[in-house]
Amino acid sequence: MVDSNSVVEIQDLTVRFGKAEPVLNRLSLRVARGERVAVVGPSGAGKTTLFRSINGFARAESGRILVQRSLAAPPEDVTELRGAALRRLRSRIGVISQRHDLVEALAVYQNVMAGALGRWSALRALRFLFLPSAGELDEAAAALREVGLEHKLRVRTESLSGGEHQRVAIARALVQRPVLLIADEPVASLDPDRAEQVLALLSGLAEKRQVTLLCSLHQPALAEQFFDRVVEIRHGEVVDDRAPRRDSYPLNRLSHDPVPFAARFSA
Amino acid sequence: MSTLAKLFGLAPQFFPPYFSFGYLKALREPVVETLTMAAGGMAIALVVGLICGVWAGARLPGGRLIYAALAALRSIPDLTLAILCVIVVGIGHSAGMVALALFYTAAIGKIFADLFLSADQNPVTALRSTGASRLSVAFFGLIPLRLRDILSYGCYEFESAVRASVVIGAVGAGGLGTEIVGAINALDYRRTTTLILLLVVLIALIDLLARLLKHRPKLVGFIFPLMLIAVWAYRPPIQSVSHSATTIAGMFPPMLPEGALAKLPKLLLETVEIAVGGTLLAILAALPLGLCAARNLSPALISAPARRVLELLRSVPEVVWGLIFVSALGVGPQIGIIALAMHTAGSMGRLYAESFENIEFSPVRAVTATGAPVLSVATFAFIPLALPPLAIHALFRFEWNIRAATILGIIGAGGLGGALYNAQQLFHYPEMMSYLLMIGVLVGSVDFLSGRLRRHWKLSAVALDDGAID
Repeated sequence: MVDSNSVVEIQDLTVRFGKAEPVLNRLSLRVARGERVAVVGPSGAGKTTLFRSINGFARAESGRILVQRSLAAPPEDVTELRGAALRRLRSRIGVISQRHDLVEALAVYQNVMAGALGRWSALRALRFLFLPSAGELDEAAAALREVGLEHKLRVRTESLSGGEHQRVAIARALVQRPVLLIADEPVASLDPDRAEQVLALLSGLAEKRQVTLLCSLHQPALAEQFFDRVVEIRHGEVVDDRAPRRDSYPLNRLSHDPVPFAARFSA
Repeated sequence: MSTLAKLFGLAPQFFPPYFSFGYLKALREPVVETLTMAAGGMAIALVVGLICGVWAGARLPGGRLIYAALAALRSIPDLTLAILCVIVVGIGHSAGMVALALFYTAAIGKIFADLFLSADQNPVTALRSTGASRLSVAFFGLIPLRLRDILSYGCYEFESAVRASVVIGAVGAGGLGTEIVGAINALDYRRTTTLILLLVVLIALIDLLARLLKHRPKLVGFIFPLMLIAVWAYRPPIQSVSHSATTIAGMFPPMLPEGALAKLPKLLLETVEIAVGGTLLAILAALPLGLCAARNLSPALISAPARRVLELLRSVPEVVWGLIFVSALGVGPQIGIIALAMHTAGSMGRLYAESFENIEFSPVRAVTATGAPVLSVATFAFIPLALPPLAIHALFRFEWNIRAATILGIIGAGGLGGALYNAQQLFHYPEMMSYLLMIGVLVGSVDFLSGRLRRHWKLSAVALDDGAID
């Protein structure tokens, strides 16, 4: 199931802010197509910076970040991309963050279709805000159906709950038709039940769509449960890279619900 | 003190205001002229200002340049700009509209750019991470995120444009301003009072409209077309384009006549003196007035009338106060100081009252709870808590008053504004341009210094409320 092709290949990446110690210190990491990787480690270890450098928001001091934007495209080095080329790459990398990063003043479908901004002209974006076409609304509805929020299509975003918020963010990422999903602490602000639901959804969608998933987490138990691989980062270096240990984290450590929660979502 | 005595002696001549049916009917025309001028100028300013604001706020290429241009344009006081427009476009309401459009494009563009630049970065980053272009990010993120602020600042600026359109009428742009100057010059103080009352009513009506707009933003779709009609009605004649090109070309290179250079430090000092004096005098008046007007500190019996006094003081623009005093007491910097202080006391008193009302009272109670005497409570809790907002309002006001001081110079208070006006009256355009540039440099440096001071004192948090009450 996992393609030997790597979607992301990071080679000796060093990122430094100002003159301080490097946040990432000659870090190397290869992620294969369709792989679901949990990135764990204490706060300040460099997880967020790692993610931000993959889509070119944090600038590398040295090293290379090769990302393959589609099956047909050759790998591109993010550290060398600027302007339109960088935006083209970003348009295929979905990002879900811990913070609430939807535009609350817009309707849900508008936030969802923000995922298409990378392939739309600014003029089309403007037209969509005032006169969305039926096709565009259908696309938004389809993405929302995947996250179980189809009924919220025209609701104002500020009325959503925390869990719904993250689902809409996932729907927005799906509209990007991503090859890679980057989730930075996507469940940090949710309660344990909601956290499991959102992770199960994310992991399930990644598997179904053969999308590579990179997700940082605070809770080791969740990392072992939902991912194919666990990478631990400390002081900007990879200190552990292994398969998950599912048996060491029995389900009852995650929730008091006796029903295995994977079963809850298979219905 | 004799000045003040003269002032009080003059006051009765302003009452009762002159209200004949014929006069009020005749005033219809200047009122319509003033409103059309303001509406047209604002329509242009809103469209161009929004575009510039988005451009600079979304950090599009050249955005910094646009921001700098807006800031530079904003450092030319509105009346000075109006003089320039009267020269270039010709006397009349077209010049007034163009001046307002220029001034408020700069004001709105800069405020909107600041709003966009300070928008919540999380959604903006999220949008950028979808590969959206900066313009798309502006449409999907910046504008929706700031829509409410855009509306309320737009309304506020409209209000202040009405006031400004009265003021620029004073240099020949028509409307109520020209009427006020006429009445004052004719020593007809009762008619002056009528006109000022009319202005107060007009501004109150605009304020009402602004509040209505805040609740029903859709009304913009109704009002904006009306504003566009105003633009069309007062469009400058086409043939004036070539005329204005030659006129502007005639202002360059800026040049000062023999001996003018030696007078320059005195002129500069006079303008600064007016601004400093006016601001200090206003602070002295605004502190007790603000304390009286603060609803949490004073009983309603005191705070309500104090508020009315403040409203009266600030609803009359500095220039109108200046015109009144000049006609009554003659010219000179002290006239400028008093005129500036009158209006500023009204604005700052209101801001001070609000600052007092917004003070977090638990630290005050904590100090009181130690059994400290009232004076100690004041020194250790109340004053330290109230000081930062008071200081920031004073600083912002000082920035504004440097502009106002040059304007007051135009109507007789002297300084750079006076020199500029004299040069214009004598058609010495290169000389006028030199003074104009000097004013720009003075205003710009005061803004810069005040900005540095605010940052040094870490007072920039409230920076966006820049002159929120004018």
